[in-house]
Amino acid sequence: MSVGFIGAGQLAHALVKGFTAAGVIAAHRITASSPDTDLPTVTGLRKMGVNLTTSNKETVNRSDVLFLAVKPHIIPFVLDEIGPDIEDRHLIVSCAAGVTISSIEKKLLQHRSTPRVMRCMTNTPVVVREGATVYATGTHAEVEDGKLLEQLMASVGFCTEVEEDLIDAVTGLSGSGPAYAFTALDALADGGVKMGLPRRLAVRLGAQALLGAAKMLLDSEQHPGQLKDNVCSPGGATIHALHFLESGGFRSLLINAVEASCIRTRELQFLADQERISPAAIKKTTLDKVLQQPGVAVGGDAGGNGRSGLNLFNNRTSGVKKKN
Amino acid sequence: MNPDAQQRIGFIGAGNMAFGIAKGMLSGNVLPANIKVSAPSSTNLGRFQELGISVTHSNTDVVCVSDVVFVAVKPHMIPRVLVEVSQHITKKQIIVSVAAGVTLAMLEELLPENSIVIRLMPNLPCLVQEGALLFALGTNAKGEDGALLLSLLHCCGLVEEVPEAWIDVHTGLSGSGVAFVYLFAEALAEGAVKMGMPSALAHSIASQTVLGAGKLLRDSGKHPAQLRAEVCTPGGTTIYGLHTLEQGGVRASVMSAVESATQRARELGKK
Repeated sequence: MSVGFIGAGQLAHALVKGFTAAGVIAAHRITASSPDTDLPTVTGLRKMGVNLTTSNKETVNRSDVLFLAVKPHIIPFVLDEIGPDIEDRHLIVSCAAGVTISSIEKKLLQHRSTPRVMRCMTNTPVVVREGATVYATGTHAEVEDGKLLEQLMASVGFCTEVEEDLIDAVTGLSGSGPAYAFTALDALADGGVKMGLPRRLAVRLGAQALLGAAKMLLDSEQHPGQLKDNVCSPGGATIHALHFLESGGFRSLLINAVEASCIRTRELQFLADQERISPAAIKKTTLDKVLQQPGVAVGGDAGGNGRSGLNLFNNRTSGVKKKN
Repeated sequence: MNPDAQQRIGFIGAGNMAFGIAKGMLSGNVLPANIKVSAPSSTNLGRFQELGISVTHSNTDVVCVSDVVFVAVKPHMIPRVLVEVSQHITKKQIIVSVAAGVTLAMLEELLPENSIVIRLMPNLPCLVQEGALLFALGTNAKGEDGALLLSLLHCCGLVEEVPEAWIDVHTGLSGSGVAFVYLFAEALAEGAVKMGMPSALAHSIASQTVLGAGKLLRDSGKHPAQLRAEVCTPGGTTIYGLHTLEQGGVRASVMSAVESATQRARELGKK
């Protein structure tokens, strides 16, 4: 089995690091493509032994399982480009926040009658094999496809199948979750430093405290509230500290954060559902590089009826303006 | 082989942005003899002449002798100026607009079809060759046009090509951001005055602090959080001060400030 990544940014890098550490696939069986070869993640992937290319078509041709690891607004653009090259063997796994299975299937149905699509939402700790991943299965994906994806993603953390309409909430919670934790840890370390600890030790202890607490919770049948009570001796240090947290609205801040992330994901879904992207969203020299790839044709107007090529900007009257 | 040394550069408009950019180019490879500037009045032209740059009151003159034309007039003047010079613009010239809020679409509509247009957003510190300049390529602009602009401007500060959508964000971050920094510097000084330092000294130290911290941040390659941590001795003065800043919600305020300025730039761009 070969795995391909369209996009060679943070997500691709984290997944490859995790997969190769888990031994679930060898680096030389992985291909990743990106028009921008200056990214540090591209260098990182190359060092791991991944095959790198600037051609998305090449990645598609070399892969059986194809991860779409580009930003949500780029997805329609990529699908138009690779659509003609998708074959029956391909399993397309989109990792893009807010991009629905139906929007992906709609694009691919222009080229194939039964495209096998899955959608997953993971998070960056896959890089240390402690990821949190959920996936939803598309119309034509088989049971084995779900099992295969689950096998891959379970090698890098927790993985489970969900209804697609829960994925935005998952994004808000565990997709963005690590960022909430990093922010908390930075501040906890500041607290430690203020009270006299050297920075490195403060960071180490803070991280270990959160890691340990998380482990306790995952291993225990008890409610987190109960576990918290177990730490708070009457009139002691911890309960005083907790009171501060509560006074500051700590809980509601976290709820708000998850909500904001989920809502924003839904907004991104709306933007991605538009079939075209605004030219303002892509740097022109990147776009020009993509258009120079061998085999990338340029369509002239609204696609559909079997016409292959890139459907680009929708705010000019005469369609595509690429001139040679 | 210095391709930019052969380029003839024109400026329509002789304000601070034009001056800052011209100065930057001169510290690179461009010769004063290859620059021409136009402005309706002579008020701002003197400082260009002092640098050996030729000046005129005719926008058309500038356009006819230049390979790259910077249109550095106020946004509301753009339509009039472009319509005036439009017939003299050839397919080979590069037109660079510096006007805030004027989109590539608007510019291309005012210029002949097939014109090469680039939208550039500089900021005030271009005046001291420490600007942050982002540009977006128009429909007919190619990679090499962007590369040429980059090589012309590299002495003005940080220069990069971006998708047009990021230009409004840049306005909020760095165009307006300069003012946010001035506000911070002023407040630093006032804190010092409260604690007993004379104002003049407090202000000059505040500005040097901002400058020095900025230099370290840019040149060290380290994340600002890392640099911040390096200044914070355990239980020391800095961490106490930082705690007070955090309690004031400074981070969120600053984020909101960039957001408001960016939103406003977008609104202006729609008019």
